[in-house]
Amino acid sequence: MKQHQVTIFAQPRPELLERVLRVVRHRGFQLSAINMAPQSDCQELRITVTVASERPIQLLLSQLTKLIDVLQVDTQALDVASQEAFQIRA
Amino acid sequence: MNGAQYIVNALHQQGVTQVFGYPGGAIMPVYDALYDGGIPHLLCRHEQGAAMAAIGYARSTRQVGVCIATSGPGATNLITGLADALLDSVPVVAITGQVGRDFIGTDAFQEIDVLGMSLSCTKHSFMVTDPEELGAVIAEAFQIARSGRPGPVLIDVPKDVQMALVEAKPVMHLVDETAPLCDLALAEARRLLAAASKPVLYVGGGVVLADAVDELRSFAAITGMPAVTTLKGIGTLDPASPWFLGMLGMHGTKAANLAVQESDLLLVVGARFDDRVTGKLAAFAPHAKVIHLDVDAAELGKRRAVHVSLQADFKQVLPVLAMPLQVTAWQDHCLTMREQFAWRYDHPGDTIYAPLLLKQLSDTLPENTVVTSDVGQHQMWVAQHMQFQSPRNHISSSGLGTMGFGLPAAVGAKVARPQDEVVLVSGDGSFMMNVQELGTLRRAQLPVKMVLLDNQRLGMVRQWQELFFDGRFSETILTDNPDFVCMASAFGIPGETISRKEEVAPALARLLASPTAYLLHVSISADDNVWPLVPPGVANEHMLEAKP
Repeated sequence: MKQHQVTIFAQPRPELLERVLRVVRHRGFQLSAINMAPQSDCQELRITVTVASERPIQLLLSQLTKLIDVLQVDTQALDVASQEAFQIRA
Repeated sequence: MNGAQYIVNALHQQGVTQVFGYPGGAIMPVYDALYDGGIPHLLCRHEQGAAMAAIGYARSTRQVGVCIATSGPGATNLITGLADALLDSVPVVAITGQVGRDFIGTDAFQEIDVLGMSLSCTKHSFMVTDPEELGAVIAEAFQIARSGRPGPVLIDVPKDVQMALVEAKPVMHLVDETAPLCDLALAEARRLLAAASKPVLYVGGGVVLADAVDELRSFAAITGMPAVTTLKGIGTLDPASPWFLGMLGMHGTKAANLAVQESDLLLVVGARFDDRVTGKLAAFAPHAKVIHLDVDAAELGKRRAVHVSLQADFKQVLPVLAMPLQVTAWQDHCLTMREQFAWRYDHPGDTIYAPLLLKQLSDTLPENTVVTSDVGQHQMWVAQHMQFQSPRNHISSSGLGTMGFGLPAAVGAKVARPQDEVVLVSGDGSFMMNVQELGTLRRAQLPVKMVLLDNQRLGMVRQWQELFFDGRFSETILTDNPDFVCMASAFGIPGETISRKEEVAPALARLLASPTAYLLHVSISADDNVWPLVPPGVANEHMLEAKP
């Protein structure tokens, strides 16, 4: 299964995380890591999830983008090499 | 004014002229505000009926349907309707009462987490926790419900928010944005169209939602492309057009399915490669390149890889793509198939053959009649054997396949279009699922004409049991059905039962001549199946046309 890290920028709402996680599960992606934090101005939330699936990541990104409160969705593939690179950066 | 009065005022300013609902404790302030008039409210006899009436209202017009329910069971009863509206992309706004803010999370009487339940069955949902947000939330809810790919939006309003004092600010109207077309994709789509020798136009309900029926018909006339529709696309194309091959998919016409399977180019407009359309996906239109047009980017490439995709407003894009195509041999081939595989209505014996009855009904109906159907065999027979000049005249629960949809949808359609005839075609299984809405017909004196095809079976499941489960008819035999004509009469609705072919024409005449609602109860054979049928897991060209 391919792993991806997906970063979601969204308007802060009490149920936002539930919306995001529901889409991840329902569209067939396994969640292995998650982080949520307000952006510095507190006008936006940033949610970062690591997901895995046999399905193309684009299917998830297009559904997340449709969520009304979601402002932007970014992704990067996590193959072994890039996972290491990511860990080094972190 | 209080929050409830603000809500009613805001609905009025959004152009809402009819709401459907059912009162209860946590929504009482809103019903108190409705008592002062302003917006007509129709009491349905179950919240699911109210949601489906709102759907029928929305689908038969271009308006947003509005339904109202109380907290807890009122809201949970709406859920099936909201799911139906989500799967069929129907603009609906649902307003639910909620327990007061201090009681939320305490398992209060009639408290349930409606916002949580709404996440999977709405396009978006709100809980209003600040009375001052009411105006913005209502404006946003209507904009979300009708923009882009439409869908249901739920607004959950705690009772104390309904009772709080709210400043009467002017109501906002939000404006939709349209994205510009991609020139590169357009050029490639035009190139593929010009190069195709066996193109097929595959049309779905998105064309209706985009209000682009005229543009589609003009495109079809200019290109001369053989065309097929989904269940929701019925009525978008003129059924008399020689290039129209009918519905495709599991119960589609043989001509439509064979043309798609032979095609070298599919132009998909507002459709989504639903599993009931494609059959075995890997074998669907195996030789075709695909141009996919949809307003919802998430549908592009979701089930089938495409050569060109355009997230586009059809009113803009179809005129740009229209050009005459040199495909005479292909047109001739499709026309031959259309004639060769046309429906046949010869049926032995004296018993009523439902497809023929529906054809007779279709031929008899006044122009602009709305037909709603329920779910099952009769639904497919309506799609196959009745003709529709407008997609807003054929209302059927397509994506969710919700039994019990037809009667409340007919209520909503008749309220929306009182000048037009509204006919419900139902089955004995479906009819019982929201039969309480006969009380709504009576309450509003709605002259909805009902044709109930009764085979004393859950017919579609029975058909599958016969074909694929060794004839083991588990829980599908309904020989203990009630006396439907007697039941209608309890609601003051006249009716009659027929069971022989010769009775059909005069009974249809009485049905349509009735000044009030009328039930035509039609006793049909339990053995008549819907053909053709593409069995599960095979390609659409391997349709069954009779029991093997």
